[in-house]
Amino acid sequence: MRNTEKIPTLIKNPFPHVVVKNFLDDQTLDLVTYALAGLEYEFDDSDLFNYLSFGLTDVDHPVINILRDDLGDKAWRDEVAKRFGVKKLSKIDMSAYVYGLGSFLLPHDDQVEDRIIAYSLHLTDIEIAEKMGGALHMYEADDAGKSKLVKSIIPEYNSLIMFEVSDKSWHQVGEVLEDIQRLTVTGWYHA
Amino acid sequence: MPDIHFYYLAKETISNLKMIFNSSDVPFLRLSKFLDIESVDYKPNLVDDENIGYFRRKKGPAILEDFWKSTEFIDFLCNVTDLNPKFSSANHLSYSAGDYSLLHMEESAPKRLAVVYDFTKKWRLEWGGNDLYFSPGKEHLICNRDYGSLMIVKLEKGDLSCTRYVSLKSKDSARIDFVTYDLD
Repeated sequence: MRNTEKIPTLIKNPFPHVVVKNFLDDQTLDLVTYALAGLEYEFDDSDLFNYLSFGLTDVDHPVINILRDDLGDKAWRDEVAKRFGVKKLSKIDMSAYVYGLGSFLLPHDDQVEDRIIAYSLHLTDIEIAEKMGGALHMYEADDAGKSKLVKSIIPEYNSLIMFEVSDKSWHQVGEVLEDIQRLTVTGWYHA
Repeated sequence: MPDIHFYYLAKETISNLKMIFNSSDVPFLRLSKFLDIESVDYKPNLVDDENIGYFRRKKGPAILEDFWKSTEFIDFLCNVTDLNPKFSSANHLSYSAGDYSLLHMEESAPKRLAVVYDFTKKWRLEWGGNDLYFSPGKEHLICNRDYGSLMIVKLEKGDLSCTRYVSLKSKDSARIDFVTYDLD
């Protein structure tokens, strides 16, 4: 179950985003972490990214179903829509990602189809230090495409990061520089 | 101007290269130790070149620009590919730690011959920075860094290429002359 029904005030720059700390209760967190550890992840390697992933949107599993509700039931979708000031959110998709040593996701803005809000629930149960890599980097870009790193969010266990998808939502996952497993459940709230 | 290694100018070699190039799924040749470049100036003036979501690197004039435009080299290309390439552009590109280019930066590129000459020294495989060639429905072509190698690839409209992300652990830069020739 969720620990909260409220989302803190948005941070506006470089694009609207928010971090909800301590998102799941301890029991759900343990069950979810255990369920995700048992998945057979696929290795994905392209010009844009390098990580392990497992699609969860259509998985019928008691714990994953609870997690899907916690992230995407109507009450929470309405709260997300209200906080970001966007129209009704109809559904979510979700996948689990594991970033190990050398994994990365290069800058992109997430603009695909009807994605409105991006989210990432961080489930790495160790304290990640900046030098380990794996932070979420947020950029500003000028009209010519030159970027400036504005903010880095270091993944914190059981924190839910959300941001509004737009032509300004340039972000990346920094290369993981140590032998850790950066685990997230990530996806989008759709129109 | 540098000289093409005499081995690559032998009649038998050219005949073999032509056969290899035209029998590949994605027509390509990888020629090691292609040139004698001991006397070349390796310090071009480079400037930051970024378009977020497409590429981040340094860029400058090709080190061997005159050579890539020369009759000698274009004749060589004609002989080993059976194509009629016309010089289009040449740049020196340098990819340091954190730099990258992505395939979709070439989405609007026409049919072309891409030529990449590798100036990268002391490279480690785990630093990434390899060249990737993508042709829909075919196997990816991956070209790891190899000092002194020349890569020649025929790319159709819709085919894409890039230099992959360079690890933050990299202690050097991947440096290439990247040259394109238009094809009829």
